Amino acid sequence: MTHFSRAKVFMYGFVSLWSLFVMLPLLWMVLASFKTKRELFMDPLGLPGKWTFGAFERAWGVGMGGFLLNSAIVTAASVALIVVVSGMAAYVLARSDSRWLRLIYLLIVAGFAVPVQAVLVPLYQMISAAGMLNSLGAIVLPYAAYGVPFTTVLFYAFFLDFPRELEEAARLDGCSRIRTFFSVILPLSGPAVASAAIFQAVFIWNEFVLALLMLNNPSTKTLPVGIIALGGEFTSDWPAIMAGLCIAILPILLIFVLAQKYFVRSLAGLGK
Amino acid sequence: MAALDINNLVKDYGAYRAIKDVSFSVGAGEFVVMVGPSGCGKSTLLRCIAGLESVTSGSIVISGRDITLDEPSDRGVAMVFQNYALYPHMTVRQNMGFALRIAGQPQAVIDAAVTRAARILRIEAQLDKKPKALSGGQKQRVAIGRAITRAPDVFLFDEPLSNLDAALRSQMRVELGRLHAELGATMVYVTHDQTEAMTMASRIVVLNDGIIEQVGPPLDLYNYPVNRFVAGFLGSPRMNFVQAKVSGLTEAGVQLTASGLDGNLSVSVADAPLKVGDLVTVGIRPEAFRDDPTDGWILNGAIAVIESLGRETLLYLDGGPLRAFDSESHEGYFAVHRTRQITARHSDKLRVGIDPDAVYLFDQFDRAIAWPNAHTTNQK
Repeated sequence: MTHFSRAKVFMYGFVSLWSLFVMLPLLWMVLASFKTKRELFMDPLGLPGKWTFGAFERAWGVGMGGFLLNSAIVTAASVALIVVVSGMAAYVLARSDSRWLRLIYLLIVAGFAVPVQAVLVPLYQMISAAGMLNSLGAIVLPYAAYGVPFTTVLFYAFFLDFPRELEEAARLDGCSRIRTFFSVILPLSGPAVASAAIFQAVFIWNEFVLALLMLNNPSTKTLPVGIIALGGEFTSDWPAIMAGLCIAILPILLIFVLAQKYFVRSLAGLGK
Repeated sequence: MAALDINNLVKDYGAYRAIKDVSFSVGAGEFVVMVGPSGCGKSTLLRCIAGLESVTSGSIVISGRDITLDEPSDRGVAMVFQNYALYPHMTVRQNMGFALRIAGQPQAVIDAAVTRAARILRIEAQLDKKPKALSGGQKQRVAIGRAITRAPDVFLFDEPLSNLDAALRSQMRVELGRLHAELGATMVYVTHDQTEAMTMASRIVVLNDGIIEQVGPPLDLYNYPVNRFVAGFLGSPRMNFVQAKVSGLTEAGVQLTASGLDGNLSVSVADAPLKVGDLVTVGIRPEAFRDDPTDGWILNGAIAVIESLGRETLLYLDGGPLRAFDSESHEGYFAVHRTRQITARHSDKLRVGIDPDAVYLFDQFDRAIAWPNAHTTNQK
């Protein structure tokens, strides 16, 4: 066996073990959602005695449909806002030689460094003062604000490599800057937009802390917060919680599987 | 058809002056080629005309209308880019009609303009394809078609054939010549390829380091370069240059000696203030070397490289102690062109003559002071 193939076997072995480490809790979650409460505690690692969808029915009964819809609306609105704002900002930043705009770019990058926990209280006060508590807007705006720095950096790297001749051809063809952006640049930025959208969608879909803080009304709750309703102070319906989680991760898992390459590209793009 | 006037154009990038007070005119329907080495400012000048670069000072006038500060789309110019710059997400038809669509033209007008341009360029069959489905030559045709649909006053070409292979390039040269004749449009064409310049231009503008070295019809520039730069730039292989010294003055001109060459060379020079001891540069075109020389300078060399092109042969001669400077080869070989097939091998000896009537002479400031007699006779 050559040195190269030994290294390959080691790498594959390591990656397989790591994948198992990540996948096992998910597998446990899926199995647990089919078990009874008794089975869950008596035989936590065994297979369900009887495959039943009862836990799924109980989970759906607490309003999963509404939570799902809220999550979809919040995710779609936030991602749309993030893509449009970051796209336009990154285009201007990538095309300008201004020192001030370079400083603004640095400030945007610095936005990465602000942990959401540090601004929870002022953010809550601002949203409350704006009378937006318990509305979907209460989390759409902060999500968009938190998504803009990453996406701007991603788009910035993409636009730096965007062929300038196309923009110049558009200018000669009579396009204004804004028309050039929407008619030529955005339609050709599919990979960057897809990468940004998927990355942000995964984050927003799973976000818990801000949603917990801003949304108390059951009709506006998103999935991560809504699932909490299945847990009580003294007792929790764990199979139903697990079933709820299964329902929650399904849509985003589907998107992830279908558009995996864009997700990887969004992370790789940061290295530019 | 429109005329284009460039008046005292200056373009600065910070402290660097890319275009230095350039002025020239392009007549209506003329095909002017701007040529020069990389970084000479030819593309910058074209981009200034297109409005893609701002101008530091000076003016650009098309048919009497000052367009210096106009937006690119308001100038009445269309540009064909080196990399085609076709919109990949649009079909050929949409690409070609895009400018008219932006201008709010009715669909019927757009369709008519696209169909006409497609017919001229023979790309009717490609109209519904996306650019990625086209070959390089077809892409370039679409790029030209996009310019034609706009019916501009002036066509601008920025090295449009650079990305094509040699065979296609020569085919497109003919196409562009036909197009110019058919449209009768005013065209400004930028290239670093002197063959394109010589074959297509009504007039050539030779640029170097942000200034115009010379403007004129191709053969005028080839036969009567005003300086050593133009003489060296036009012609392939390049002119051979030899350093010489004025050894004597005669009634008609000067006598020259060169280290490594036996004897004197008497060259006719009119009105040049030369004196004995002055250093000059002698320029010899590769085709001007004589076979079987009897007088003048005689170059005894060994063949270092032989390029047989079928109907012609290029020989690179190693002149021993005598070296050509600023030469095609880094080794200072002399380029000799013959319009026939020559059977020779590496290291074969070759004896060629430098005819005094066939040389160019440049003074110490590289200004041309004498041209071959045959050209002078032809001109007169």
